[in-house]
Amino acid sequence: MSTPTESDVPTESRGLLERIRASPFLSELLQSRIAVAGLVIIATMVAVAIYSRVQMLFLAAPEGGLTSLRALSEAVSAGPTPVTDSRLGAGVEDRAPPGWAGAAPLDQQLFGTDQQARDIYSRTLYGAWLALKWGTITVGLSTVAGVGLGIVAAYYGDVTDNVIMRTMDVLLAFPSLLLALALVAIFPEDLGLVRAVAALTLVYTPRFARVVRGAALKVLEDEYIDATVALGAADPRVLVRHILPNCLAPITVQSTLNFGLAIIDLAALSFLGFGAQAGTPSWGLMLSNGVEFGLLSGRWWMSFFPGLFLAVTVLGFNLLGDGMRDALDPRMREAID
Amino acid sequence: MVSKRFVAKRLLLLVPVLFGVATVVFAILHLAPGDPARLIAGQRASREQYRAVREALGLNQPLWRQYLDFLVNAVQFNFGRSYQPGGFGRPVREVIADTLPVTIELAVYGQLIGILIGIPLGILSAVKQDSLTDHATRIGALSGISVPIFWSGPLLILAVATPPLSLFPTSGRIGVGFTPGSDFTRHTGLVTVDTLLSGNLPAFVDAVQHLFLPSLVIGIYSTALISRMMRSSMLEVVRQDYVRTARAKGQGERITLMKHGFRNALIPVVTIIGIQFGTLLGGAVLTETVFGIGGIGTTLVAAISNQNYPVVQGTVLTFALLFTLVNLGVDVTYSYLDPRIDQ
Amino acid sequence: MSRDGVDRRDFLKTAGGAAAAVSIAGCGGNGGGNGNGNGDGGGGGNGNGNGDGGGDDGGQTLVYARGDHPENYDPQQTTSGEVAKVTNQMFDTLIQFEAGSGGALEEGLATDWSLEGQTVTLTLKEGITFHNGEEFTAEDFRATYRRFTDEEYEFYLGNDNRSGYGPFTLGDWVESVDAGDDYEMELSLTQKYAPMLRNLAMFAAAVLSKAQIESLDNQIDLGTDPVGTGPFEFGSLNNSDQRVRLTAYDDFWGPGPNVDEVVFKTIQENSTRVQDVINGASHITDNLDATGFQEAQDADTAELLRKNGINQGYMAMNMARREEFRDRNVRLAVSYAVNTEAIVNDIYQGFAVQSDQPTPPDVLGHNDDIEPYPTDKERARTLLAEAGYPDGFEFELATFSNPRGYNPSPIQTANQVKSHLEAIGLTVNINQFESFTPYLDYTAQGKHDACFLGWYTDNADPDNFLYVLCDPKVDLEDVPDGQDWVGFDTEGYSTLNVSGWANTEFMEMVRSAQESYDTDGRRSTYEEANKLVHDEAPWVFIDYAETLRAVNEQVVSDSYAVSSVGGPYLNTVELQ
Repeated sequence: MSTPTESDVPTESRGLLERIRASPFLSELLQSRIAVAGLVIIATMVAVAIYSRVQMLFLAAPEGGLTSLRALSEAVSAGPTPVTDSRLGAGVEDRAPPGWAGAAPLDQQLFGTDQQARDIYSRTLYGAWLALKWGTITVGLSTVAGVGLGIVAAYYGDVTDNVIMRTMDVLLAFPSLLLALALVAIFPEDLGLVRAVAALTLVYTPRFARVVRGAALKVLEDEYIDATVALGAADPRVLVRHILPNCLAPITVQSTLNFGLAIIDLAALSFLGFGAQAGTPSWGLMLSNGVEFGLLSGRWWMSFFPGLFLAVTVLGFNLLGDGMRDALDPRMREAID
Repeated sequence: MVSKRFVAKRLLLLVPVLFGVATVVFAILHLAPGDPARLIAGQRASREQYRAVREALGLNQPLWRQYLDFLVNAVQFNFGRSYQPGGFGRPVREVIADTLPVTIELAVYGQLIGILIGIPLGILSAVKQDSLTDHATRIGALSGISVPIFWSGPLLILAVATPPLSLFPTSGRIGVGFTPGSDFTRHTGLVTVDTLLSGNLPAFVDAVQHLFLPSLVIGIYSTALISRMMRSSMLEVVRQDYVRTARAKGQGERITLMKHGFRNALIPVVTIIGIQFGTLLGGAVLTETVFGIGGIGTTLVAAISNQNYPVVQGTVLTFALLFTLVNLGVDVTYSYLDPRIDQ
Repeated sequence: MSRDGVDRRDFLKTAGGAAAAVSIAGCGGNGGGNGNGNGDGGGGGNGNGNGDGGGDDGGQTLVYARGDHPENYDPQQTTSGEVAKVTNQMFDTLIQFEAGSGGALEEGLATDWSLEGQTVTLTLKEGITFHNGEEFTAEDFRATYRRFTDEEYEFYLGNDNRSGYGPFTLGDWVESVDAGDDYEMELSLTQKYAPMLRNLAMFAAAVLSKAQIESLDNQIDLGTDPVGTGPFEFGSLNNSDQRVRLTAYDDFWGPGPNVDEVVFKTIQENSTRVQDVINGASHITDNLDATGFQEAQDADTAELLRKNGINQGYMAMNMARREEFRDRNVRLAVSYAVNTEAIVNDIYQGFAVQSDQPTPPDVLGHNDDIEPYPTDKERARTLLAEAGYPDGFEFELATFSNPRGYNPSPIQTANQVKSHLEAIGLTVNINQFESFTPYLDYTAQGKHDACFLGWYTDNADPDNFLYVLCDPKVDLEDVPDGQDWVGFDTEGYSTLNVSGWANTEFMEMVRSAQESYDTDGRRSTYEEANKLVHDEAPWVFIDYAETLRAVNEQVVSDSYAVSSVGGPYLNTVELQ
C-alpha cells in the first residue's frame, strides 16, 4: 500500500486510469463482475433519484418559472407537492391497478395508485431520492463518528480506549433494529426521517469504531509510525496523515455494506411507523400503506413496486460491498465481519 | 474442552455490559418526551387524580432516586405494571412471559429452516466453486439478504394466502376457534408444542398453518445468511495447509472437503448463527407486524408508540439479555469446536 | 321484566339438551370450524372438532374486531373505550342507554328511579344473579360505589388505580349510598345534579359483585377476572394472540345472548380491520376511516351501518397563551376563514356534518337556529384589520396524526386550515404529534397556540359538552373583571377546557342548568349557552361525525343496532 508523502506529489498528475490500475484494490474491484453489477445498479438508482428530484422541483415551480435558488427551495418546502400529498385528480380512483392491468390508459399510472389516489410510479421513483439521500447522511455521520472514535481509541490506548470501546460494547449488546426502535423514542416525532437517521447513526457508529480501531492498531504496529512519533510529529498530524489513509479501504468496504443496511433499516423504521411522516413517499411508508390498504384485498401493486425498488437498491450495495470485500487486502479483511 | 473458568469469566464480564445496557434503557426513557402519568390518568382526570398517579409512579422523586429504584427492580426483573390508555395494565413480567415464547417460536422455526437449507446449500456452492450452481446460489443468497422481510412477507401473503389460492391464513398464530387454556393447556407458550402436548391435533394443524408463512419469511433470510457464510468458510478451510496435506495423500477431493473442512468451516457458521440471532429478533419484529402476530416484537412497537415505558424497558432489556446470552453461548460452543481457543 | 318471550337461546337450550350446557367449556372446539375462517375460509379445512357436543347449532362465535388489546377489564380502572366495549358485555348498569338509540334511558338493573332534590331513589330488579352465582342486591351497588370513590373503604381501589371516572361519574356528585332494603336504594347527592341518572348509565358505573370485591386481596386483580350480571361471562384473556373470549351467560335477565361466544380480536390497522370483516373472518368492527368507509360501502359481503354520532370535533384557540386570540374579532376572523364545509366534504367524505355549537344534534339544548359560520374571506380580513392585525400573525396549530372518530385525517385537516388561513394573512405552523397521549399532555398543559381536539360523549347530556369542555371550573371570582379568559394555572382549572375561555355569563348559565331538573328550562338555558359559545367562538367548530360500523353479512340484519352512546349491544346479535 503506498503511503502518500510529499515526495509522491507527481503521482497526483498521473491519469485516473493509470492510478486505478496502480491500485490493487481498485483494479481487482473492477475485475469482479459482482462488484461491477452492483455499481451499475447503484448508478441507475442515482440517476432515477436525480431525475425524480429534478422533476419534482420542476412540478413544484411557481408559475413564471424559478427565478432564484431561494425561490426554488421555498417552492419545494411549501408543503403539498404533486408527489407527496395531492391526489392525481378528482377523476382518479384510489387504489386503482396499474394502467396496463386495469382501466386506465397504458402509459398512465404505470404502478397503479395508492389509497389517496396518488401515483405510485412517481412516488416510488422519488423514494429513490429519499433513500439515497438519507442513507448517505446516516452512513456518512456514523462513519465520521466511528472513524474518529476508533482512531482515537487505538492511538491513545489505555483508559481512553477502554472507555470508548466499553461504551461501544454496551451499544453492541442490543440487536440493532431494536436499539434503533428504542432510541427513536427520544427524538421528537415531528422530526420524521431525521429521528430515524439519528437513531441509526447511534446504532452504526460502534461498528465503524470497532473496524477502524482494529485496522488502526494494525497500522500502528508498523514501525514507521513509531518513527514518525520519534521525530516529534504532533498527535493530530500522525492520526490524520498516517493512520487514516491506511484505514481507508476497510472503512470504504464497511460503509458500502452498511449503506444497504441503512436503507433497509430506515425503511423498516418507517414501515413500523417511526420514520417518515404520513405523506412522505418513502419506500418503507409506502410498503406499510400497501400492507394496510391493499394486502387483504389483493391489491399487490401497492406493496410490489416500492418493495422492488428497495430490494434492488439494497442488492446493488450488497453486490458492490461483497466484491469490495473480496478485493480487499486479506490482512484487512479480518477486521470486517 | 470448555473450562468452567472460561464460562465463569465470560459471565462475569457480562455484568458491566448489562449494567450499561440498563443505564442506556433508563436514560432513553427519561429523555423521551411525554408524561406517562397523563396517559394513565386519561383525558378526563382532574389535576388531583393526575398528581396521585404521578406520585404512585414515583415520578416526583429526584432522578437519581428513580434510577436507583429502577436498577434495584431491574435486577429482580420487576418493571412494574404496564400502562394502557386510561389505566394500568398487567405486570410487565407477565406481558413478557406471554409474548416472548411467541417470538422465540417464530425465530427458532426460521432459524431451523435457515440451518437445514443454508448449510447444505453453502457446502454445495463451495464444492462446485465457480460453477453455475455456485453463481446462482451466491446471487440468490445476496438477493435473500437484500429483500426486506416487510416486502417478502406481504408478497407471500398476496401470492398464496389471499384469493384465489387462499392456502394459508393471513394473520395470527392460531385460529380464533382455539384458545390456550380451554382447548389446549399452556405448557411452554409455544403454540405448536402446547397443542401437540395436549393432543389436540386440529389445533396443532391450525397452528402450523398459521406459522408456516411467517417462519418461511424469516427462514429465507436466514438461509441466505447461512449459506453465504458456509460457502466462504468452506473455501477458507480448503485453502489451509492441512487440507492440502490431506489431499496430497491422495484422498478424493469431495471426501477431503467433508472430512476436514466441515467441522472447521462450521466454526464461523456457529458464530454467524449467533450474531444473526440479533438480526433475527429484529426480523421477528417486522414479521410479527406483517402477519399480525402478538409477540414481544409487536408488543415493543406498540409500547413505544403508546409510551408504555415499563413495557419498553422490560422488553428492550429482555432482548439485550437474550442477545448477550446467545453470544455467550456462541463463544462457549466456539471454544468447544476449536480447542485452540482457550483462555 | 323485559324478556322477549321465548328467546332463541332458551329454545336452543331445550333443543340441545344437556349437551349445550357442557358446550360452554368445550365450545372452543366447535368454534374451530367457524373460527378457522381467520384469514379467509380456505385455510385449514372444516370439520374440526365438530363432534363434541355443541348441539346442531354448532357453537356460534361472534367475532368483533377492534384496534387495540388492553389487558385490564375492570370498568373502574380505565377510561378507555376499547375496554368499555368488552366490559359492557359482562356488566350491567342500574339504568342503561337504550340499544340503537341516541341516548334514551331504559331499565337496567333498576326498574324504577326518581331524582328529586339531592336524592336519587331506585327500585332494583329481583332475582338477578351474578356470573359467580351471587344474587344481586343494593349492597352490590354500594360496594361498587365505595370501591370506586371511598378512601375509607377497606376495599377501595386506590387513588392511583381508579380511573378518572371515579370522581367524574360518581364521586364528585354522590355523597353516600343507602342500601337500606335489598331492592330499594337511595343515593344522596352533594348538590342538585341533573345529569346524575345518565351518569348511572355510563360504563364506569357498572355494578360489580360485592362478594367478589370483598374476596379480593388485591383489587387490581378484578381486571383479569371480571364478574358481572351481563349477557356474556368472561372466558379467557389471550394476550399472546391479543384476543378476549366471552361465553354466553344462560341466566342473563335481558334479551339474548343469541350466540355461544364472543371473541374480541385485535387488528391495529383500520383498513385491514374492515377488510377482515368483508372477508368474513370477523363480523363487526368499528373506528372506520375514510378508506374503510368506502370499502365497507362498496363491499357485497358486508354492510356499512351509520348513525348520527354524539361527538364534536373542533379547533380551540388558546386565549391563555396568545394575546391575539383574546380579541373576539380575531376568533371570528378565523371562524369565517376556515371553510369547514370543504373540510367535511373533502376530507371526511360525507360521514360527518359541519358543526356550529358545542352540543351535537339529538342532545337536549342543541340550538337549531344556529348556522355554521359561512366562509367569508373578505369579512375575515376586515375583522382582522379591526382587531389591529391587518398583516396577520403567526401561530402554532398542534395536531395529532392518527385518525379519531371526530377527525378521520388530522394532518390533512391541519393542512386545509393552514391554507384557508393563509388566504387572510395568518401563518400557521403545524405541530404534529405522532401519538395521542403526549398530545393530550401537551394540550392539557396549555402549551399550544391552537389545537385540534374532540370529544365523545359519556352520557349524552348537554352538561357533558358545555360544562365539561367550555367551563374552566374555576371560581367565578377568580375570573378578573372585564376578562373572558383565565390562565391554565388558575386554582381548580379544568384542562379539558383547552382554550382558556372563561366567560362568566356562560359559566353562570351552565352551572345553574346543571342544578335544574326542569327539562324545558334546561333546554332553553343550554340553547342560549350554545348560542353564546357560537358567537364568542373560542373554537372553530368543525364537525359532528357519524358513528360507523362495518358488519359482515353473516350477522342477521337488524339483530345488531349501532348506538352512539353505550354498547355495543351484542346480546341481541344473531349469526346466520
